[in-house]
Amino acid sequence: MRRGLISWSQEEMPAAVLDARVARLQAAMREQQLGAMREQQLGAVLAYTSFAQPAAVHWLTNFTPYWSEALLVVLPEGKPLLLAALTQRVHPWIREVSHLGDVLTAPRLGHDVVKLLSERLAPDTAIGVIGLDTLPWPVASPLIDSARGTHLTDVSDLFRSIRQPADAAEITLAEHASRIALAALRSIPASPRNASEITAAVESSARLAGAEEVLQRIAPDLHQDTALCRMDGDCPLGTRYAVEVSVAYKGVWVRAATTLSSDSTSKTWHDAQRWFESAAPALAAAKLGKSLADAPGKVSRWSVEASLLTEPLSIAAANGATAAAALPAGCPAVVSVHLALADGPWMASAPCIVGRPTSLYPWTAA
Amino acid sequence: MSAALRSERAGRLRTAMQGAGLDLLVVTGNAWRSDYLRFALDITPMEGQVIALIPREGPARLIVEGPTEAARMVREQPDLQVSWSTTPLADAEALIAKAGHLRGGMAPIQAVPLRLARGPLGASMAATTRMLDALMVRKSATEADAVARATAIADAGYAVFKEAARVGRAEYELVADTEAWLRSQGCPENFMIMGSGGQEVRSMHPPGERRLQAGDLVTTELTPCVDGYYAQICRTLVVGPPSEVQLRAYAVYVEALETGIAAVRPGATHGDVARAQNDVFRRHGLGDYVTSAYTRVRGHGMGLFVDGPHVLEDVDLVLEPDMTLIVHPNTYNPEAGYIVLGDTVRVTATGCDVLTRTSRSLISVPAGA
Repeated sequence: MRRGLISWSQEEMPAAVLDARVARLQAAMREQQLGAMREQQLGAVLAYTSFAQPAAVHWLTNFTPYWSEALLVVLPEGKPLLLAALTQRVHPWIREVSHLGDVLTAPRLGHDVVKLLSERLAPDTAIGVIGLDTLPWPVASPLIDSARGTHLTDVSDLFRSIRQPADAAEITLAEHASRIALAALRSIPASPRNASEITAAVESSARLAGAEEVLQRIAPDLHQDTALCRMDGDCPLGTRYAVEVSVAYKGVWVRAATTLSSDSTSKTWHDAQRWFESAAPALAAAKLGKSLADAPGKVSRWSVEASLLTEPLSIAAANGATAAAALPAGCPAVVSVHLALADGPWMASAPCIVGRPTSLYPWTAA
Repeated sequence: MSAALRSERAGRLRTAMQGAGLDLLVVTGNAWRSDYLRFALDITPMEGQVIALIPREGPARLIVEGPTEAARMVREQPDLQVSWSTTPLADAEALIAKAGHLRGGMAPIQAVPLRLARGPLGASMAATTRMLDALMVRKSATEADAVARATAIADAGYAVFKEAARVGRAEYELVADTEAWLRSQGCPENFMIMGSGGQEVRSMHPPGERRLQAGDLVTTELTPCVDGYYAQICRTLVVGPPSEVQLRAYAVYVEALETGIAAVRPGATHGDVARAQNDVFRRHGLGDYVTSAYTRVRGHGMGLFVDGPHVLEDVDLVLEPDMTLIVHPNTYNPEAGYIVLGDTVRVTATGCDVLTRTSRSLISVPAGA
């Protein structure tokens, strides 16, 4: 559950930027031609949000639910409306942290949105849903059962087409989130014995710096296993371990990871880190061949993630992925690589902006 | 989580599947709704959609959305067959179709994605969810013990929160101190909201940038997770000495909590527990403040999540031994502002054990920075 700082700073995220994003979506809605004769336009776009799927609604409104669910209704004109399952007593808080038109109480989201759409739109109007397939059944069911059912269409591709590249405000937030992540990893004590010493230090550093959320995974002993684990309980650290921290700052997510050792860092690690810092931006830009071929060890895993739809970070490209989406220049992304070096496994993740020559995570320079 | 508890739950699940005539159980979830997956397989998604296909006999199959989550779940549960995909729903759909000869059920209805709900198991969702709800609300003694351990962490975590609450500190800094301490204890997850200020404060929310001032009431609902089970504590503190108004208002909440806890016993319903608390407010002329215009929820189950229905006057869930719940008469007071007070309790054969140990007095912390 979200329990870090949730706020709206108009200096960091001016209302005009959010208005421009909504206008981008509304322009795309007007251009979208539906139906066999391409005779129909979208009368509304719906975007579902929970803290597991907050990205689309946050991008449009700055709103992330700390708990519960909500549904955003974007009409072709005007400010978006929010139907919130959260109790009415937190509506003042919702208004304080987000940029919205009406906020309506909707304990039964699906039924309440059907009622709203019936009041606002003609019965045969086409309704688009961002991530229709993933819409939870209690939200989707009343829409399908109503006359709207035959006019529901998935508009994920439409949303993807306008979501990236990022605007300057988002990039500034991604840079800030990256600084929080870097500082959190640098706050790890010199010779921790247990994983909990790391998680406590990282959590404190990131949350005191204003992180909205912090997710940590640790591979506590790379000689045993390279899996990055959720620390439920505690465990001793091996001589080599890896730490991944994912940070949300004002709704913008980044991920950073590093490999650490209680003994002196080997030359292979130094070479790997130098290679990664130069290769990560190229990998983010889908220039895979040369970047991966130059790695100082066998590349056992790589991935590029970005905010594409409703989840904070999704796989855009990876080894083993069935489909790869090339990200446009200006898109914030996270590049992760696992290497099998001569003296053992090594891994790192770094946030990047596609097209920039350096990552947002200058580990060796910091 | 202990292997014994995992095994015990798996046994109960298999028995329930057998009773319902299910050969295959499909459970979906994500970071927001992870409780059903935790019950069925002891896995907690951190990111992305997760779909589990659990045969009554044999290893379960898990589909997740990324390689990091896949590797983690293999490490946590080596017996699971885990794969990852950028199209997890399509993959799950194909596997469900392949298992078409089996009698299947899918849950939880509140989290099943539309694409799967429209498939062959869609009609089973309500009954399968009821089956799992019954298993999750009625706890074994081992599960109730886990809630007791989480309650001890909640008590200690509140002491950290109390230490952090000083004039000039921002709300989010109090949470940062508490969260860091929880991580130091190996606690991976916590639900926490708070409020600070005076008579104008009408609810709690995630922490903001407001800095504490002398005279503030500072509320929090702290809910750490231990071995997959949550427990909650709700407390209110005053920065500096409490005022007469604050003390007078707070006394009603203490009376309501004590009365509510006294109503917790086997055979009583959630409605009985809610009514006992609300009657106290009504006797003090504060009946308006326990309605939906303010806050009407007087508690809820505690366990793998907010288990089962809330504690409300119209809820007829019957309490049984080893059920665990929080009793909390949290609501707005027109003179003092929003006040919270709640203890986690465990139903016993004759009444309940109060698991929370933190004092119920209105806590005062120094007003000096």
